[in-house]
Amino acid sequence: MLPRQDTVEIFSTFIQFDYDRFGRWATDSRLRRSMRQSLRKISGENSANFWSLYWHKIWQEQPQDLAREHLIAYLQEVCFWSATKTINGFSSSQYTVSDCFQIAIARIDKVLKGFDRDRGFNLKSYASITFGNLIRELLRQKKEIDICSDWSLLRKLSQKRMTEALVNAGLDQETVKQYILAWNCLKTIYVPEKANSTRKLAKPDRETWQGITNLYHQECQTQLGQSTETVNCESLERWMLICVKAVRSYLFPTVSSINQPKPGYESGEIVDSIMGEVNDSLLTDMIAGEEAKHRSQQQQDINQFLTATIKQLKPEEQKLLELYYSLGLKQAEIAEELNTQQYTISRKLAKARKILLKSLAQWSQSTMHISLTSDILENISALLEEWLAGYYSSN
Amino acid sequence: MTTLNSTIFNPTDLVLELEQATIEQAWSQSSNSGSAASRWQSYLNQLALDVFLPWLQTEEDATATVGFSPTTQADIWQVINGTAIAIKDAKLVLIPSEADDISELRIPQEWVDLPEWTADYYLAVQVNVDAGYIRIWGYTTQQKLKNEGEFSYGDRTYSLTDEQLITDIDALWIARELCPDEVTQAAVAPIPELASAQAESLIERLGSQSQLLPRLAVPFPTWAALIKNPQWCRQLAANRRGSSLKTPVLQWFKQGMASLNQEFGWRKIEMTLSAEGAKGVVAASATAVPTFGLAKKLAIANQAYELKILPLEEVGSWRFELCCINPGCMIPPGFKLRLLTEDLQTFEGNEDVARSAEEHLAIEVDLEPGESLVWQIEPTPDHYQQEVLQF
Repeated sequence: MLPRQDTVEIFSTFIQFDYDRFGRWATDSRLRRSMRQSLRKISGENSANFWSLYWHKIWQEQPQDLAREHLIAYLQEVCFWSATKTINGFSSSQYTVSDCFQIAIARIDKVLKGFDRDRGFNLKSYASITFGNLIRELLRQKKEIDICSDWSLLRKLSQKRMTEALVNAGLDQETVKQYILAWNCLKTIYVPEKANSTRKLAKPDRETWQGITNLYHQECQTQLGQSTETVNCESLERWMLICVKAVRSYLFPTVSSINQPKPGYESGEIVDSIMGEVNDSLLTDMIAGEEAKHRSQQQQDINQFLTATIKQLKPEEQKLLELYYSLGLKQAEIAEELNTQQYTISRKLAKARKILLKSLAQWSQSTMHISLTSDILENISALLEEWLAGYYSSN
Repeated sequence: MTTLNSTIFNPTDLVLELEQATIEQAWSQSSNSGSAASRWQSYLNQLALDVFLPWLQTEEDATATVGFSPTTQADIWQVINGTAIAIKDAKLVLIPSEADDISELRIPQEWVDLPEWTADYYLAVQVNVDAGYIRIWGYTTQQKLKNEGEFSYGDRTYSLTDEQLITDIDALWIARELCPDEVTQAAVAPIPELASAQAESLIERLGSQSQLLPRLAVPFPTWAALIKNPQWCRQLAANRRGSSLKTPVLQWFKQGMASLNQEFGWRKIEMTLSAEGAKGVVAASATAVPTFGLAKKLAIANQAYELKILPLEEVGSWRFELCCINPGCMIPPGFKLRLLTEDLQTFEGNEDVARSAEEHLAIEVDLEPGESLVWQIEPTPDHYQQEVLQF
């Protein structure tokens, strides 16, 4: 893959895959115009990092606007490398880089929501760690789902995921409610009978279906305030199979449109007027630089502090962090590398990380006068992850 | 476990391994349940507790303990998901779930709106028994649940999405250390008390196993007032377990057995023959103590054994005995016979272990009328079902 250099391209082009490989960069002309227009406003400011922060700020105010698409374009390389790196960690994955890329980029909102502009270093290193985590987790989930029988799968979902899958399958709100209730009834009645065999549940027998149906009728009255004469065992079974199908196709969508240039825009047939206006006051603020100066000072301080703190860790802990964050090694591989048990690796890694997190929290408390809460600690933790990823990839 | 080794988790997740022994123990402890669903719920909670609490005690807080007595907690699991843990100046609730997608935490309203039960922190615990691990993947505070959580009237739960949760569990321990005064709880209204007559009729109604979701069957304040009282909660759980789950040993000795002298796998045995070798076992002529014993056939590793309950000379003294059925067969070394109180606590002299091949294992106990015991044997007999023996 040839990384993009030009600022306009960075914010307006998308990777097109040729099977599993990088094919070419495709331009979205609407985004290109928008980016050119923005660059014209200020001659000096050409750095991609500056513009990523700008679009992130716009995105926060107007999440559905062009800003999001500029950011999707911006994060293409990061997502591509995260997908490549992560998939190499899964030995027997049947998923390609392009699959993983699509999955990760489709969840861009998680990256955008999680990134803290005031404290964060840059969106790229935060995105790299978040994409990596997302892909890893989804590959793991996919593996679990593939092992599970249909009836086991029904037990392995959160209500949120099940609802999303049904909505995605095009069911209306009322139907979704009924299916969710029926699904909850199934989970109440049809439970595993052995301590550890939750993956191969067979189809419930006739008596069990009757029990599920009875419970459904009862709870329909209490929970939905509806009567349901027409629902019988057969319909419930049919519903559950629809649920299974919806879920299986929801996690790994076969086609994703998010990375395609929008139809019509390519040929320029849609006029510029509907494009987001450049937010002048926001730009001026950012250029004026008080905020930027402050942030860059703060980042330097954090950088200095963490670099010094890491050096105080035991050599073994330093080595661990390096192996984990720079090479993206699996804990099992690290264990092999360091000739020890995987179990001890994860504990030691967690310990080293906790020492850093605590030091950084204390430091923020005393030098930046931040009063800590769980939520702020969560931000500091994300910042630490981002910093570790950046630190070890540049060293 | 192989699956765990080949899986990678994010560095902020806390993943704890489930040993096979832990799984077996939790499974057998959960057997005293009123329905398959209650048993499964108890089992998942027991697993989460058995693995997380020792970790917590070693790594973060040596003073950590269970929030309720084990008996009360087991009663709660019959009807509500969630496990209370007390740490230094704060309360935690574990919410186990089988959901593999870790995209939401759903918390029963009882843990949030019942003032006696509210906690500071709620931990999302994924339990995967096949892959052999539990994973703590996020937490939140009661305040955040009240302010930002979505309340669902249908199943009376508060839920937060993965994006709203704090995903680094280390943040919790550091918060307790660096900002122990952080506000974690929002005010909740007290729950009005129930009259005991009302409680009794509720226990009867909701204690029926045909009532599969008792927590949703009456208005929340009524339900909350009922279960916050440990006695009532106890009675409710007992009703749901079905009193028939208790084996009425003393009643049999007093009134005889109803059907064909064989119930719950127990049968009557004559004392003179079977009690040979047990010193102090009463002769058939003695008064006030029963004149017969009880025996139950068991199969352990394809060998037939018999567990006996024999009355001793002293009223209220009993002898439990495990022996081989086939002539010449001996109990192999390492076999254990164990008695536990009804809430599965050990007591002094509750165990006999075969040091070498032995003819029998025996334990003698003194019991008050009304006391109950649970027996266990290691290795576990085929088709073992935990049984509460009521004296």
